[in-house]
Amino acid sequence: MPERIKHAPLDKDKVKQPMGEIHLIKDQCKGCGYCIEFCPKKVLEESDEINARGVHPPRVAHEDDCIMCGFCTAVCPDFAIFVVEKPQSVGKMEVKGGKHD
Amino acid sequence: MAEKKAVESKSKDDLRIGVYVCHCGLNIAGSVDVAEVAKFAAKLAGVVLAQDNRYMCSDQGQAGIKNDIKEHRLNRVVVASCSPRLHEPTFRKACEEAGLNKYLFEMANIREHCSWVHLYDRKAATEKAKDLVKMAVAKAALLEPAAEVEVPITRQTLVIGGGVAGIQAALDLADTGYKVFLVEKEPSIGGMMARIDKTFPTMDCSICILAPKMSDAAHHPNIELLTNAEVSGVKGYIGNFHVKVLKKPRYVAEDCSACGECAKVCPVVAPNEFDVGLATRHGIYTPFAQAVPSTYIIDMNLCLNKNGVIVCDKCMKACERQVINFEMKPETVELEVGTVIVATGADVFDPSGLPHYGYGKYANVITSLEFERLINAGGPSGGHLLRPSDKQMPKSVAFVQCVGSRSDRNGKLYCSNVCCMNTIKDSLLIKEHWPETEIYVFYVDIRASGKGFEDLYKRARKVGAKFIRGLPAEIVEDRKTHNLWLIGENTLQKERYEVNVEMAILSIGLEARKDSEVIQRLLTLSRNQDGFFLEAHPKLRPVDAATGGVFFAGCAEGPKDIKDSVTQASAAAARAGILMAQGKVTVEAIMPITFPEKCKACGLCVKVCPYNAIILDEDKKRVEIIEAACGGCGTCSAECAFGALTQKHFTDDQINAQIDAVTEEEPEKKIVAFCCNWCSYAAADFAGVSRMQYPPNVRIIRTMCSGRVSPRMVERAFARGAGAVMVAGCHLGDCHYINANYQTQKRVERLWKKMEASGLSKDRLQLLWASAAEGERVASKVYEMKPILEKVSREEIEKAKKVFEKSLGEG
Repeated sequence: MPERIKHAPLDKDKVKQPMGEIHLIKDQCKGCGYCIEFCPKKVLEESDEINARGVHPPRVAHEDDCIMCGFCTAVCPDFAIFVVEKPQSVGKMEVKGGKHD
Repeated sequence: MAEKKAVESKSKDDLRIGVYVCHCGLNIAGSVDVAEVAKFAAKLAGVVLAQDNRYMCSDQGQAGIKNDIKEHRLNRVVVASCSPRLHEPTFRKACEEAGLNKYLFEMANIREHCSWVHLYDRKAATEKAKDLVKMAVAKAALLEPAAEVEVPITRQTLVIGGGVAGIQAALDLADTGYKVFLVEKEPSIGGMMARIDKTFPTMDCSICILAPKMSDAAHHPNIELLTNAEVSGVKGYIGNFHVKVLKKPRYVAEDCSACGECAKVCPVVAPNEFDVGLATRHGIYTPFAQAVPSTYIIDMNLCLNKNGVIVCDKCMKACERQVINFEMKPETVELEVGTVIVATGADVFDPSGLPHYGYGKYANVITSLEFERLINAGGPSGGHLLRPSDKQMPKSVAFVQCVGSRSDRNGKLYCSNVCCMNTIKDSLLIKEHWPETEIYVFYVDIRASGKGFEDLYKRARKVGAKFIRGLPAEIVEDRKTHNLWLIGENTLQKERYEVNVEMAILSIGLEARKDSEVIQRLLTLSRNQDGFFLEAHPKLRPVDAATGGVFFAGCAEGPKDIKDSVTQASAAAARAGILMAQGKVTVEAIMPITFPEKCKACGLCVKVCPYNAIILDEDKKRVEIIEAACGGCGTCSAECAFGALTQKHFTDDQINAQIDAVTEEEPEKKIVAFCCNWCSYAAADFAGVSRMQYPPNVRIIRTMCSGRVSPRMVERAFARGAGAVMVAGCHLGDCHYINANYQTQKRVERLWKKMEASGLSKDRLQLLWASAAEGERVASKVYEMKPILEKVSREEIEKAKKVFEKSLGEG
């Protein structure tokens, strides 16, 4: 449907979206960058710090965007990242988006 | 040349041409001296009988032709009356009934191209009519009988668009017993009607009456539903279309039970397009509760799983039936159909381009479509009227009519047909549920011309909706309350109004689909100036496209309400059914004939053929025509430099004879015009029907396509001293024969270069693109060429004669 969407959804404040709290075990990271590369919401980025293994571990840049898909945990070869669900989770959806935007 | 002359003189001896000049009441006789034209025709070579008649198309007129064919042994018939696009079939039939091959009939268009466009110059119109008759007689003398090829019709139909019109057409044809493929772009059929709350004038619940039809369409044994699919290619012709449909993946298999467990766990959310963004949906969703098919669909723009990498598998885990499959790929389905029904619907006008109404800027200015979703029990607010800013019920609302309609400055020129009644319906709905609500309707005119419409209008006024004549000049928002001030002039009372309401609803118009061009190109259709598809005849063939075997249903052809859409859909189904019931169709005998002895096997004709209907046999040094694939444009004949190909019924000799007839007397004062049957000739007809007046110096020669006009024809006109030449065709990209008019462009450009190189003014050769609805363009082109004609000197005419005589001699 080709109409331009101009108004925010009425149920914007009621829609529940999972929110994740990301935990990093920095010294366990070997800096492969898989989590940064594969995160569908681009929540992570490379940090400047150097960990015990002498590499740059990731940093949580946009934690609000995390929707807890858990893929970072799944792809991490060193079990250095995991996500815990946060309780509050309403009204953070982006109005833009969807097929015709 | 010697050979041609021999043929002519041989046939001239036994030629017995009958010429009939029609009065058409006063339509022709009012500005043309028909008796004089008939007298003139009687003296032309080969004419044995010439008379005038009040109405040639009447039974009595036709009976006269039949009688004369027998009594006077006529072997050619020329009728000078209206456009061949209107009555050629009528007279051809009459000839056939009297035993004369229908290809021995020719028409002179002295109404649309003469009497109607030169209403006030009887002398010039009569002279022009004489010329047109002379041209027709000259062509008639060279006409040859032809047999038509019969082509079988595939008894299957493609319906493009699954709105109410498409569904109705599909159901009617399927019930008749024909197989129907119903293609819908969206994930569900239902179209616009599925989004509307109630229908006028009966206040039926829209989806309640539509849903059973949707379900019928899905379960009908003769209907194959292709949703989330688009037509990507069409080849072939009436009775035999090969269609390619691109089916986009849903990523959910058809045995989905629509339990909705997947959507509950899907982490991504977006506005639901079906609700114009007023509600949300998940990445895996069904657009609305009654969707058909009910199978869920994954929006890949939203889903986290891209390019085959499965990041999130929550839906898959939640799905009990295990029907989610991210491996699905787009597939192309190939269909063979005999007829096509175009029911692609309309878009709604986007009012964000009208800053004075503040749509998109002020929260409480909404469109009538958003309102439909808001007041719908199945919609985002559960049917509670509320306004977006505070989600409270508005105590006063204003409807603003004609938003995007009836204005060339603020939208479209035409009336969108449905908005008046829609507003009246909406105001009654509000009053029914919340009688205290104040309602203002700002209008230009209220158009309530349908059955039961006036009653509804009266009811709305009775229950207290206030109708104020005069659209607001501006809508201004009160920043604190988000209430709106509508400021304008009441044109009945000639006073300024300032009305304060809590919500304003813009009654938006309908416009042609923004992607109409795709279907237009695929099926070589025409569109009118408003962008809607053009019917073959506005009165008598309102659902037929000019392209054979294609029909229109619903808003694709023009804005209309549900009842009209359904009526038209049934009509389109009947028209398609008639074709398929006959089981075969005759293809006009206008394909090329070859003269193998002249063929040099250069292959140029093969290259320009838009239908790949010519095959070059390099061993035998000749070409072969596949008649069933030939579209009949004749561009091959124009391309052949050796005269080894010519189009039947539009042969080089016949067209040359017409050119010669025009240029026999005072050629320097005339424009020889070549117009294609589908667009520019139709445009000239339209100019006539609209009584657009233009100078009487133009003589139009009809070809099927402008691609038929060979450079030698233009050269011949100049060599015989024509003042100017016009070549007119469909707009580039809109050619009825796919792309044959690109050849026209190339040829004219080549001629221009040649003229310039020989020191001739290229102004004397004009190229015009005009669609069937652009009579105005034809008329203004003739006006534009008048000074060119007046300016051209004796020397220039002589020079052109010399240049082109030489080049024709060489050719």
